[in-house]
Amino acid sequence: MINLITALAVGFLFAVGVFLMLRRDLIKAAMGFSVLFNSVNLLILAVGAFRGDVAPFTTNLEGGRTLSDPLVQALILTAIVVSFGSYALLLGMVSLISRRFHTVDSDEVVNLKR
Amino acid sequence: MQNILILGMVFSTLVGAILTLITTRFNRLDRWLAFGAALSSWGCSVAVLIQVFGGDIQTYRLGGYVPPFGIVLVVDRLAAIFAVMAASVLMAGFIYTIHCHDKCTSYPAFIPLFLFMHTGLMGTLITGDLFTFFVFMEIMVLSSVSLVAISDDPLGLEAAFKYLFISAIGSLLLLISISMLYASLGTLNMADMARLLISENPPLVRGAALMLTCASLLKSAVFPFHFWQPDFHTTAPTPVHAVLSSVVVKVGIYMILRIVTLLFVEDAAAVQGIFVILGVIGVFFGSFGALRTYNGKRLLAYSTIGQIGFILLGIGWGTPLGLVAAIVYAFNHAFVKSALLMVFGLVSSRTTPKSADFKDIGGAGRLMPPIIGALWMLGGMALAGIPPLNGFISKLTVIQSGVDVGDFLPLFLVVFGGIITLTYVFRTWQHVFQQDNPALQLEIKSYGDGVLAPTLLISVCVLLGIYARPLIALAQLAVEQIQDPTHYINAVRLFIGG
Repeated sequence: MINLITALAVGFLFAVGVFLMLRRDLIKAAMGFSVLFNSVNLLILAVGAFRGDVAPFTTNLEGGRTLSDPLVQALILTAIVVSFGSYALLLGMVSLISRRFHTVDSDEVVNLKR
Repeated sequence: MQNILILGMVFSTLVGAILTLITTRFNRLDRWLAFGAALSSWGCSVAVLIQVFGGDIQTYRLGGYVPPFGIVLVVDRLAAIFAVMAASVLMAGFIYTIHCHDKCTSYPAFIPLFLFMHTGLMGTLITGDLFTFFVFMEIMVLSSVSLVAISDDPLGLEAAFKYLFISAIGSLLLLISISMLYASLGTLNMADMARLLISENPPLVRGAALMLTCASLLKSAVFPFHFWQPDFHTTAPTPVHAVLSSVVVKVGIYMILRIVTLLFVEDAAAVQGIFVILGVIGVFFGSFGALRTYNGKRLLAYSTIGQIGFILLGIGWGTPLGLVAAIVYAFNHAFVKSALLMVFGLVSSRTTPKSADFKDIGGAGRLMPPIIGALWMLGGMALAGIPPLNGFISKLTVIQSGVDVGDFLPLFLVVFGGIITLTYVFRTWQHVFQQDNPALQLEIKSYGDGVLAPTLLISVCVLLGIYARPLIALAQLAVEQIQDPTHYINAVRLFIGG
């Protein structure tokens, strides 16, 4: 059951991310970027090697409780930092573009096409 | 055995980046510090190359943890060749930066970002862990995006924005494939994955292989994923452009070589058939794109798409000779392309206003020191593959491997595509350095960027053309090693518990 919910959540977030990324508004596109990365982070969490209910670094394992997989959590931490950096850079560039072009509509930021 | 020199390849530039962040007030000092960091990274790479070819694969376990639990840096012969190529070109880039008159090179962020890019690039080449590969790749992408965004060219911001989105898709593909591989194999260490994939074939692996391949193709701007490349590369500052178009695109090629020889050897044949087709399309697309472009920097960016096509063709044929051809071509092309871009940077740095458009600078090359024209001529000949320069050697190895395979249709097509290279190189020579333009709108400055870096690169090209045997011998040894993945797997010395 929990697997199904996670899968649906990953799929839904991914769809939302792609939809937002295809908007003309650059700010919405940047938000889509962040949502997409978070959906993939959730995916990484879901593929953990074993499903536990206790934090990994403990010896207190009475009552048949199992440890959770620490590696995927470490991976997500790194992936969050990376996506956070990219998102910050992206928003910085959106703000520069809006200052230079006086718009955030991607249809009007077309100097490269000429 | 812990080899500390491997650490030096990555961390000397990382330390340099942090130092230059502290000393941002002294721009001149920064540039020399950056050059020193790049030089020490280059020295470490060459030392590791000598060790790798003299003995066994070298490894370094970060923090001393045993793989597959800890991160391990692995340098085998293939990685050593690519690392020396990258470090040499990047060092030339830093030499160029010392005497570069681009305004953005005097920004306090420029030198640290360039050094971070160096770190990311070297890291992707030597890491033995797929997730660390992703992290280093992101370091490289983010710093190169920032470098292009602060470029002198006002279009840089737009191009950088566009590229950041596209590379984010690539990174997502990479992350998804990492999570799929972790779900099915329970490891992220490349040697461990290769070991497991020899015996078993879980259902998700095909999809992961496909996504990993697509991410690599996107990073090297191969045909269906190429559209960002001319814009992004053209607007970059000259020293950054020289590095982007020559070695950063090779990271994807390196990963593809790893995919077909180490990770997914079983499925390699299916992908390689596609690579041949993509290679031929890339050669044509790049050559015709360059032919109809009237901007020097953009022309060379298109030309990179074509040259990557040749490399992909070698990988697609997949025979030992084809892989040797791919490695030799990648190595030679890095030097030729970065040299040519720097020569064009020399030309446009001497004009006011700064321009690389043939409309503006037609005939401007005549009024400049003749050494610039001579360098362009030599580099252009190398790009087009005229003996005795190194481009001839690399084209010859590709053609030889094609004849060896007996795949004549793609071979004829790419040889024809290669002839187009000759056309656009000499057309540029005529436009910029030969024709007399009395109506020249530009003012020619008596000073400009330093000629040392392109001269060094061109002399390497000439040297590699005349003494081609050592490089080909190295590539052959490397291919011998990567043909058998067990060398790589055994060298990492995984801890395999019960």
